[in-house]
Amino acid sequence: MPPILEVAGLRAGYGPIDALHDVSLTVDEGEIVTMIGANGAGKTTTLMSVSGVVRPRAGRVTFGGNDLRTFPAHEIVKLGLAQSPEGRKIFPRLTVLENLQMGAFTRKDPPGIAADIEKMFGMFPILNERKGQAGGLLSGGQQQMLAIARALMARPKLLLLDEPSLGLAPQIVTQIFGVIRDLNQNQGMSVLLVEQNARMALKVAHRGYVLETGRVTFSDKADVVLNDPRIRAAYLGE
Amino acid sequence: MSPPVKKPFAIGWEGAIFLALLLYPLFPIFESLFFRATQRSLGEQLPLVFIFALLAYGLNVVVGYTGLLHLGIAAFFAVGAYVAGIFTTAAYSFGWPFWVVLPLGVLAATVLGLLLGAPTLRLRGDYLALVTLGFGEVTKFTLRNMEKITAGTRGLSPIPPPSLPLVPPSAWADDYRPFYYLTLGVLILVALLLHNLERSRLGRAWIALREDELAANCMGLNPNKLKLAAFALGAGLAGLAGVLYATRLTSTADPNAYDFNRSIFMVCCLILGGLGSRLGALVGVIMLVGFDNILTPIIDSKIQEWFPNSGGRICLSFTGWRLAIFGLALILMMRFRPEGIVPSSRMKHELHPDEAVSNGIDPITMGRNTGEVETLGRKGGQS
Repeated sequence: MPPILEVAGLRAGYGPIDALHDVSLTVDEGEIVTMIGANGAGKTTTLMSVSGVVRPRAGRVTFGGNDLRTFPAHEIVKLGLAQSPEGRKIFPRLTVLENLQMGAFTRKDPPGIAADIEKMFGMFPILNERKGQAGGLLSGGQQQMLAIARALMARPKLLLLDEPSLGLAPQIVTQIFGVIRDLNQNQGMSVLLVEQNARMALKVAHRGYVLETGRVTFSDKADVVLNDPRIRAAYLGE
Repeated sequence: MSPPVKKPFAIGWEGAIFLALLLYPLFPIFESLFFRATQRSLGEQLPLVFIFALLAYGLNVVVGYTGLLHLGIAAFFAVGAYVAGIFTTAAYSFGWPFWVVLPLGVLAATVLGLLLGAPTLRLRGDYLALVTLGFGEVTKFTLRNMEKITAGTRGLSPIPPPSLPLVPPSAWADDYRPFYYLTLGVLILVALLLHNLERSRLGRAWIALREDELAANCMGLNPNKLKLAAFALGAGLAGLAGVLYATRLTSTADPNAYDFNRSIFMVCCLILGGLGSRLGALVGVIMLVGFDNILTPIIDSKIQEWFPNSGGRICLSFTGWRLAIFGLALILMMRFRPEGIVPSSRMKHELHPDEAVSNGIDPITMGRNTGEVETLGRKGGQS
């Protein structure tokens, strides 16, 4: 079976600077793949290039047989690829419910949307309790849950998660990663996960890629990455 | 999902204002009381307020909902006015009726909005503001300099009154009421349209775009298309206001009526009233246009009465102080109530998170129990 997402020789950047020089990775269906790396390694740029917000300068991005470079960002969502951007980026002055509705913006099936909102409320009961509140009034962890739920509202085949643990208390981080694992195991969701919290990410992922200054320098099964002495020294603080 | 609780029909402040305005001409006693006190007619002035409220509504779609700083709305206002001028006055052979020219003015302004918006809306923030500002000035100078077409500073006139059954043509000049009800009717229709639009998928998308363009893009919103739609709707409403304005004045007036001051004045109305709030736009216009067109002349004539020998000394004319007072009011406003007089609850919560508590509004729900956007009644209740 071909991978659901295939990135090959990706080069991308901002203005005169290339942030990515040569990034290649694949995500298989039903797999959690994580990208780890230091600040500025190009993790977020890779995700942005996949979701089309940043336009790749060279290389290939194929998703479910489609060449994503030919699609604008808002069309890519329709193909079944949803992104939960770094820093959560929920809409602070829209209510929780409205935020979820925005996640389903590309869909035109109101009954299906309503059913999915109920499903999200089942997964994240706190969002149901606070559905009428402005998104900006939620706590950080709740906002992260909202950001994930909002991305799921697009009914994606592949979920791009950018730093879901950013700025959250350890207990909340555990909870968020529990949700990611659950999405994958029980619903077969494919996930491409970018994380600074490398240990946590590698524990939940099947495979891992290590990014350094815009290049993939190492990749293997997650437990192999997790036990590699160099990775342990560089990213896990040992 | 449980359906949002439908609130019982609540008329709210906006409805109350419209109702009062609808009733005003039915009781001539008010008009005569006003006249006795001021030697002026309020009914003659109010249609201008309604027309500028339409203009403010249009601008509010662009600046308030979508968050694009537009400093050239007067250009689209001018397009509406000049469409009315060209297609109705005797200077041209068209002589089309008002009811054809009205949609035509809207169409022309909308098309112009699309033409300006398509290449420029990818600009962000200040750059877009500069482009719209420049466009406004270019439009003004074009209108002034293309004398053969626009009659330059003389303006195109006379623009005939609309034809309505039961209203004889002479009534438009002799009686303020036909125009009063025409403009108020259009205003209320547009308010209803916007009321529904705010709750629609498109309205929500505009707000999402204003809040976070990147996230909105990630949700599958097409920012350029949405901005263009807001820009075109804003331009169209400005065109509508422009046709009414010229018809009301029976002339396109001097192109200076459509200069940068007009644009910035409309932005001030929105900021004073509360950005993004329809009621705010209405209140802002009533206050500022009311101050300019109604209150200032009254105070000036009173001063004339009390100091008959003031003879043009500027410090004794209220008009001379008008802009100073205006500026001071805006500065005080920004200091003490930056969200505007009647803000949308979305804005209010951001700038004054604690005040909602003292007003008895649950700060968490901002007075909302459902996903429904704020109701007018509630907003009124807060202020």
